[in-house]
This record gives sequence, C-alpha cells and structure tokens, in this order.
Amino acid sequence: MPHPILTVEDVTKTYDGFKAISNLTFYLYEGELRTVIGPNGAGKSTFFDLITGRARPDTGKIEYGPVTNPLTDLTRLKEYEINRLGIGRKFQTPSVYVDHSVWDNLVLSLRGTRGVFATIFHRLDSTQRDRIDELLKLIRLADKRHWKAGQLAHGEKQWLEIGMLLASDPKVLLIDEPAAGMTDEETHRTGELLISLAGKHSLVVVEHDMTFVKQIARQNTVTVLHQGSVLCEGRFDEVQAHPRVREVYLGRGKKN
Amino acid sequence: MTDTTSPSTSVNRTRFRAELSAVGVIAVLLLVVFPLLNAQGVVSNFTLGVWGKYLCYALLALSVDMLWGYTGLLSLGQALFFSLGGYMHGMYLMRMIGDLGQYRMPIPDFLVFLGWKTLPAFWEPFDSFAFAMVMVVLVPGVLSFLFGYLAFRSRIKGVYFSILTQALTYAAMIMFFRNNLLMGGNNGFTDFKFILGHSLVDPVEGPKTMRGLFIATGVVLLLVYGLCRWLSTTKFGLVQRAIRDGENRVLFSGYAAASFKLFIFVLCALIASVGGALYVPLAGIINPEEMKPEKSLEAVVWVAVGGRGTLVGPILGAVGVNWLKSWATRAFPDLWLIFLGALFILVVLFLPGGLVSLPSRLAPLWKRLRGPSAGTEAASPATKG
Amino acid sequence: MRNTIHRFLALATLALTCAGVGTAAETARETIARAALAGSDRAQREIIGSLAGRSDAAIPELLDAWKRDELFLYAPADGQAPVPVQLTGTPDAAGTRTAVRIADGAPLTDTAGQPLRLIPSDLKAVEHTSGLRRAMKAVLDLVDLGSPDPATRIKAIDTLGKAQAADKLPVLRTRLESETDDDVRDKLREAIALIELKAADDATRIAALGVLADLHTLGSADFVEAARREAETAGRAEIVAAARTAQRAIEGHRSMVDLFGTLFRGASTGSILLVVALGLAITFGLMGVINMAHGEMIAVGAYTTYLVQNLFGAGVVIPFFGLSLAIPGLGLSGGAYNAYFIAAVPASFLAAAVVGVGLERSIIRFLYRRPLESLLATWGVSLVLQQVFRLVFGANNVQVSSPSYLSGNWTINEIIFGWNRVFVIGFGILIVFGIWLVLTKTPLGLLMRAVMQNRGMAACMGVRTERVNMLTFGLGSGLAGLAGAFLSQIGNVGPSLGQSYIVDSFMVVVVGGVGNIAGTVISAFGIGSIDQVLQQYLPSWAPGMAGVPFIGSFLQNLAQDSAVFGKILVLGMIILFLQWRPAGIFVTRSRSLEG
Repeated sequence: MPHPILTVEDVTKTYDGFKAISNLTFYLYEGELRTVIGPNGAGKSTFFDLITGRARPDTGKIEYGPVTNPLTDLTRLKEYEINRLGIGRKFQTPSVYVDHSVWDNLVLSLRGTRGVFATIFHRLDSTQRDRIDELLKLIRLADKRHWKAGQLAHGEKQWLEIGMLLASDPKVLLIDEPAAGMTDEETHRTGELLISLAGKHSLVVVEHDMTFVKQIARQNTVTVLHQGSVLCEGRFDEVQAHPRVREVYLGRGKKN
Repeated sequence: MTDTTSPSTSVNRTRFRAELSAVGVIAVLLLVVFPLLNAQGVVSNFTLGVWGKYLCYALLALSVDMLWGYTGLLSLGQALFFSLGGYMHGMYLMRMIGDLGQYRMPIPDFLVFLGWKTLPAFWEPFDSFAFAMVMVVLVPGVLSFLFGYLAFRSRIKGVYFSILTQALTYAAMIMFFRNNLLMGGNNGFTDFKFILGHSLVDPVEGPKTMRGLFIATGVVLLLVYGLCRWLSTTKFGLVQRAIRDGENRVLFSGYAAASFKLFIFVLCALIASVGGALYVPLAGIINPEEMKPEKSLEAVVWVAVGGRGTLVGPILGAVGVNWLKSWATRAFPDLWLIFLGALFILVVLFLPGGLVSLPSRLAPLWKRLRGPSAGTEAASPATKG
Repeated sequence: MRNTIHRFLALATLALTCAGVGTAAETARETIARAALAGSDRAQREIIGSLAGRSDAAIPELLDAWKRDELFLYAPADGQAPVPVQLTGTPDAAGTRTAVRIADGAPLTDTAGQPLRLIPSDLKAVEHTSGLRRAMKAVLDLVDLGSPDPATRIKAIDTLGKAQAADKLPVLRTRLESETDDDVRDKLREAIALIELKAADDATRIAALGVLADLHTLGSADFVEAARREAETAGRAEIVAAARTAQRAIEGHRSMVDLFGTLFRGASTGSILLVVALGLAITFGLMGVINMAHGEMIAVGAYTTYLVQNLFGAGVVIPFFGLSLAIPGLGLSGGAYNAYFIAAVPASFLAAAVVGVGLERSIIRFLYRRPLESLLATWGVSLVLQQVFRLVFGANNVQVSSPSYLSGNWTINEIIFGWNRVFVIGFGILIVFGIWLVLTKTPLGLLMRAVMQNRGMAACMGVRTERVNMLTFGLGSGLAGLAGAFLSQIGNVGPSLGQSYIVDSFMVVVVGGVGNIAGTVISAFGIGSIDQVLQQYLPSWAPGMAGVPFIGSFLQNLAQDSAVFGKILVLGMIILFLQWRPAGIFVTRSRSLEG
C-alpha cells in the first residue's frame, strides 16, 4: 500500500443547515494524479476549501503526511500555513494579481521567502531568475513577461496561474477546472503538463470536461463526488460504467 | 539603483528617473533655497512656518497613502497617530516652558488651573527630550500594534476597517477633550517657549529655530519618501500591492497577510506620529481638534487629489490642498468647505488617479488635438471618440 | 418672638382639632370675613389659625389677597356695620375696581342692585402684621393637605415631613385616619415617621425607624443617616441598629430603582441609536454603500421639523446667499400648534428621501462597485451639506420646542419614566415595525431584497435594478430624516447634528451584522444598555481601578468621567466582540474569493 500524502476521513461541513460535505473519506497517495468529477453542487469547491484551510470541517480528520514530514493536522492551520507545507491550489476562476506584471506574479509565487522582514531584504538570485524564465517558457508567456496580468486573455491567465502554482513547487497540487476557457489545443497541452507532473507531485484535478478527464485519468483513479460524499472510485471506464454515476452525472452529460 | 526584483520596462524606468530628478530639484529648493531666502528676509517667517506645516501634513499624507494607496487599507485613524506624536512632543515642550507660564509656577498652566500643586507622576520623565522622542515612537506604535493585531487577526477589512479606525480616533478625541486626562483638555498645549534650549519666541533666535525645524522637517520627509520608495521596489512592496488587489489570494500564495498589514499599519502610525511631533513646534499648538474624524478624512482627500498609489501624489496633494485652503479660507470663508467637498466628489468621480494621473490622461487628448495640425490621418474627433 | 409663635401654633392646632367641627357651619370665606373685622391682631391670628387643615380654594386666594393689601372694609353710608370686601380686576380711568364681598364672594352692590366700583384710597385697608402673615403661612401649608388631587396632597405632606416640625404631627395623624388613597397614606406614614425621628424618647424614634425601613423611600435616606449619626454621638446603640436596618432597606430599594432606571434609560438610548442607525442599516447594510452623509440626512430631517414648526407658528426668515426668504406662518397656538410634529414626521421623511434620491442619482450610482470611493465622495457631500446648513440656518443651533405632552413623567415605585423617553422607545418600535412591513409585505420590499441578494440575477429576471437602488437609497435616507425629526425633540438642532451620531450608528450596524435588520435592533439595544450601565456604575467602580498597576490612578481619574470613559469602553468591547464574531451578530456569507 503506498503512503497517503493526504488523508481525509469522515469529514462533514454544514453551511446554514446545508450539508456541503457529508462523511467524506478520501485518500491521496504520493505521486498520484487523481481526477475528481461530480455534478454542480457536489461539494468539489468546498472539498478544496476544507483542505486549504479556507473552511473548517465540523467533524472529521484532514491530515497531510508526505514521507519526509511528520503527520500534520490541517484542520487547525491557516491558509498560508497550509500553503507553506506544500499544498498549492489553483482556483476555478483564474485568480492572478491583475495589477502586477506576469514576472512579478511569478516572483510572488516562487518558493521561499514568505516572512515580513525577509521579503523586505529579499533579492532574487540567478537560479531563481532562471527558474522564472524556464516557467515563462513553459507557460508560453516569455514575451509577455512585462504585461500586467490583468491584460492577459482568459486562457493565458489560466496558464499563468498554473505557472504560479508550479513556481511554489508544492508537493500536492489542487487544481480546479484548469481547462476552462482554453482552446482544445491548449487543453490538451495542459493535460500533458499535468501528466508529466504526476510522480514527482501529487495532484487532485477537478474537471467537467470529459474528454480532458479521459486524457489525464488514463489508468489513474477517478473519484465521483455526489451530494458531498464519494459516490464511487475507480478507473475512468469503470466509473463511466457505474450505473449510479450514469444516473446522477454521466447520464445527463452524455445526452449532448 | 540595481533593481533585481522587478525588471522595469523602459517606460517605467524613464518615469522613475523623472520622478527622482523632480524630487531632487524640489528637495534642493525646499531644504536649501527656501531657508536661505528666509534668512535673507525674502520669504517671511510666517510663510516659512506655514510651509513647514504643509511638509508635516505631507508626512501624514504619505502614511495614509502607504496604507490606502499601496495596501488597500483605508485608515481613518491617521490623524490620531499624528496627534499622539504631537502630544508626546508637546509634553516635552510644555515642560520646557518652566515657570514662565501665566501662573509663574513650575508646572504647566492648565495643571495649576485644575488645582495641581505638583507635577503628576506620568509627566515627570517628559523633562527629557530623548524620553519624549521615545514616546513619540512608542505610544502610537503600541496603540497601532494592539489595534492592528486585533483587527487584522479577525480579518476586519475594507470599510469595516475604516469605520473602526474612525471610531478609535473618535474615542481618543472625546478622551483628550476631558480635563481629567491631564493633557490640557479643550485647549491642549500651547505657548511653547523653548526646544532643546533654543527659543521659539525670541525675536532674534525664534526665526532661526523655526528655520532649523523647517529644515529638519524637510529632511525627515525626504528620508520617509526614500524609505517608502525603497520599500515599494522590494518583494515586500510586491506583497503589499498584492494584498491590495487580492488579499485572499495572497494567503494561498503562503503569505501571512495579517502580519504584512500589521507591519505596514504600525510603520504608517509611526510616520504619522513623527509628522505630528514635527508639527507641534512649527504650529505652536496641539489640541484635540486635530483628532476630529474630519481631520483623518481631510488627509485622505489630499492623497486622493494628489494621486494615491504614488509617492509624489500625496505630497503634492497635501501641500497643494493646504495651500489652496489657506488662500480660500481667507478669500471665501463661507464657501471654502463647499469648495473642498465638491473638489473631492469631482476627483473621486472623474479623476480616480488624482493630479498625478492628469498628464497621462491628458496625453491622448493632447495627441488628438495635435493630430490634424501635424498633418497625419485627418480623422475627426467624433469618429475617433 | 419665636416662643409666641410656637404657642400660637399649638393653639391653632388645638383650635383645629377641638373646634374643627364647631366651625363647620361657617364657610372659610365667612371665617376670613370675620377675621378681617376682628379688632385685634391677636384675635385675627386666632381666627385665621382656626382655618388650619381646611382645604377651601378660597383660603389661599383670600389670604394672598390680604397679603397683597387687597382686602378692605367698606362702610355703607348709612352707618351700617362695615362690610369686608376684596377689590379685584384692573383699575379703570378713575382708579375704581370691582368690589367682591368676602363673606360670600358675590359682587358688592348698591341699593339699586348695581355692582359697586370703589377706589382703594376711599376705603380702610385690612392690616396685617408679620405675626399674622406667619399664621397665614401655617394655614396655607396645610391647605394642600385637603386638596382633592392626591399629587398635591403628597407634595404638601412631603414638605411637612421633611421640615420635621413636631407641631404638624396632630394634623398629619388626623389626616392619616381619614385618608383613603394608598400612596398618600404611605407618604403620611413617612412624614410622621420623619418628624418622630426628632422625638425625645427612644422608643418612638426606633418605631419611626421601623416604619421608614418598611417604606424604604429614597427621600428618607438623608434623615435616617442624620438620625444614625446623632444616635452614635449620643451612644444610643438600639437606635443605631434600627437606623442601620432602615438604611439597608433603603439601599436595597435604591439599587432596584437604579437598576430599572438604568434599564429604562438603556432602552431609550438604544432606541435613539436604533432610529439613527436604521437608515444606515438599509443603505450600508443592504446596499453596501457607505454614506458618510447619512448624518446630514438626519440633519435634513431635523431642519425640516424646524421649518414645519415655524410654519405652524410665527413663520421664519431664511437668509439665503444674501437674499432673505420670508416664509409666513399659520400663527397657530395651543393644541393645533402642538400638532405640528404630526405634520413634521412625514415632511422630514420626504425631504430627506428626496435629497437621498438626488444623491444616489448624481453620485452614488457610479460607485456601487467601489465602496471605499463611495465613502470618500459621500464625505465630500457631507461637507457641502453641513456648510449649506450653516449658510441657510446659521452656525448656531435653531430652536425646536417639543410639544408639551413630552415633558411629563410617570413615577412607578420611585422609578421615573419620562414621557420623552417613553416617546423615544415607542417611536423606535413603530419605525422597526414599519420597516418590517415595507420589507416583507410590499412589492418594493421583495424587489429590494432580490436586488440586494443578487443584483445580476434580479436584473436577468427583469427587475429594474437602477430603480430599486434609487428607491432603496431613498428609503434609507428617508429613515434618516425621520431620525432627524425625532432627534429634534430630544436635543439640539444644528449644522453638525448628524456628525455626533454617525460614528455610533456605523458601530451599531457593524455589530449587528451588515444586511440584517434584526441584528441592528439587537445591537442598538445592546450597545444602548451597556452604555447606560457603564455610565451608572463606573463612578462606583472607580476606587477599584486604583489597584491596576501603573495606570491605576489614571484609570480612577478617568472613571469619574463616566460618560466618556463608558463610550471608550463600549468601543473596546465592540472591537473585542468583532474578534469573536467578525461579521457581526448575524452573518451573511459569500462564496466568492474576494468578497
């Protein structure tokens, strides 16, 4: 049994009487690329919120435990503490610093210096500059490095945010609908990138686009969320064949 | 200056150079030429004193701008920190009056008036200038730290932060209005005589002391400007502006936004406080009127009019609006407030970038006007607009 | 001299108790007429003294006239017995005045039955010595005892009791026997006990203290204290013990009165906060607009009330940029004039609502997405409006008189419920009820809530959001206007009226939770009560503060200024409260990342 880097056990979260997440249990193993699908309102965003400290679970356990680190209880930590542990998140709607240049967005995200006084006296060294250049090439924004992020097209912002995520070099990447607003070609390239990241990083990708899911899932596990808990887990074709899944999700999806 | 954090584009660099040279010229004018002219009698002592006050207001404006323009925190409490700095320094100045007060007693007049025979214990250390200066830093520093810690910890932001800082200032104001605080009540502190052994009122020595204070204020302003300029180029500056544009996003980049905000809040409290400490001997008075909620808002006006999110803007705004105010309160005493209010509404609605943004906003207009005469494409403004 | 009076007073009371019934056939007027005719000063004093304890309205009237030298002896021409008369009315050109017979109050007529008008100098005035005047006063003191109005009786008894004059005891005791009103009986018992505190024998004094302990009125506290001191000096242990018991009872009662008084004042302070904050709860809470000119909307309402009042009264002249605008008034008075407030309430709502709609259309609608900018722009508006008030109405406060029906009070168990405060609370309840009706029972309310919850969605559903915004802002401003009408009744109206409430009202809305009227109500009453409790009890906590290290004496000093220190403490509590509930009492949640 491989080592779970992320353990979510029996977690429940209620908003004003509405159970967004109910008795959810979920394990992410080191180096895994996990795809999470589910209809709207299945609790995908809340699920990410709980892991990243944006929301606190009412009950249940959320722990982070890469092989190299001691087990950490995430339910007591703040957003930035969780991020510093090595859990990065890409939001559904691209959230970049619109008034900063593309370069500065990456500088802000680069792994390292986070303290108040440290940032005052921080200077980029040449390895860091090289790393940013490398990322700029990867996300194909090298010639727009001085552009304000707010001036980029939607798809470019998506790429920039992926670049920012990579810059922070997290162990776990939580990626919410990366393909939204991208062309087919870009979507495919995103898929390739995510697949290449697996192994070294552990990824959870939430996605609606079934072609994209099929591309990245391959032989990896797909988790189907429904009404705040796991409906089923398995390989893409298994999940696709599951009668309940067809009923609540794929059935509707296949009509068009 | 080798900027290793953020590579500036050529446009940015030119603008940056332009700003630096402008600042250099103004600094020489203010720190050297102006006092020299005063010494020669070309610039009156009154004018020098008034401009000295403007420079103190510029410090206050910078503190507002570092919070509002750069970090997105609209603090309506900067006048409080300004006044606290003023009061701390004022306590030293009150002690320096010695027994030259109206009552010829070795304690400040208002204490005699309240029936005190000896100095209250907390007044005693203020005989020392050094102690007063430490208090100028410590009192606003501690207050802003406590308030900021509580406010930022519970993620009070936006207008809530503004309202709470205003309430804090209001509470302090009603407290300072009371005689029981033993800080001069309504009248505050005034009738200062000496600072560091130099007379403030002597017909011969007084103007010299004022000139010294003016230069000191100018130097402090230049240093604070330099500090803010430098901070804005560091990674700290990047985080600061990132908090302004997307505070929650900053958390997910691993920055403890609350700590950054707390740091900048305390720093700005200190800038304002130093401004207030310099203001008191120049103005010759400090009283609770300076803490009125509208004083903080006025400082925000200076920043908005000058141009927030820039460092020249607030200085320009503070000096400009106050200069306008001194003129207009004499020329149109009844209409001045209406004028100020209208100016403010207009700036917010039509010139969000302030005066500093005027050139860049006018540039397209200028081009359009010049376009046809230069013989280029004869596009009528109507089709272009 | 003093002795004579005492003797005389004793005599007078004797006359009252023994001969009271005997003279019942004679009316008070007849008695006074008899006294006017009596030859000697001494006889006059005796006759007047016999009036003690009677409560005929003629007694104060005639005795006062006597003292004013308006009683005369009229000698009819034919040598008949002189008739005592009172000259009333104003003298005519010839200096004659109407003459009224003292004995029956009928006009003096001549033989033809025509009313006679007499000149004072033709008549013999009825004299009065200082001794007689004192006798009159003693009678007058007791007149109110017999008044048909219980409140007048209580007041008279209170005066007698607090004077602690032993000679009044028999009168009071007699009165106690016949008195039927419970409150008056208690007052009589209190007065008797207070007088008996001066008694010579210990048993009486102890019994009196027992009665006072039983009644535990606040008014008796000082007397019990004095009695205890005296007994301590004299070494009367039993009396001291009895006094202590009485003092405990009084203190217990006092803390109860203080508590309920504080709660009542808290409710009225809360109502004021609520009324001024409700408009803000709409504009800030529902629309997210920080209207710094909210205070000036309040002032618009208050000035409108001022104008309406003057329209009902004498009219008003408004200097307007050098021009004078004279508005004639209706010149009403009395009840019709007092009704101005009823007209002023809708007028101030409308005036402020119109100004509010103008503000929304011209400025605020451009700033819905920029809350900080709306704060600044509206502050500019606030400056302009304040200065306009100054130019139009002057820099000083204008006079708005509250209708006379607001000046009384109810007293229940020594707790005073001022009508103005009751009015304040009632007004608050009425407005909350009104808003609740508007928000839940009208189509406008439905649209308002829809737009505020999801502007985009509402627009898609065909709601004209622009219009709803305008009306919502108008409603919020109108409520501020109502608050102004209301504040004009309990405080000053001046150009900076709004400024004094703006900080408080923002606090109320923030603590209540933005976008939640119920939260605003709770927070207003909470803050109001805490404020009043602190004002009431801070001074008594001041000594305890001396123990705080370093700043003890400083705190103790400040605590004396309970109003100011209380406000500061309330603010501190609000900041701490927001630590616990950053979004206020009721939370409205949002799902977007930056919001």
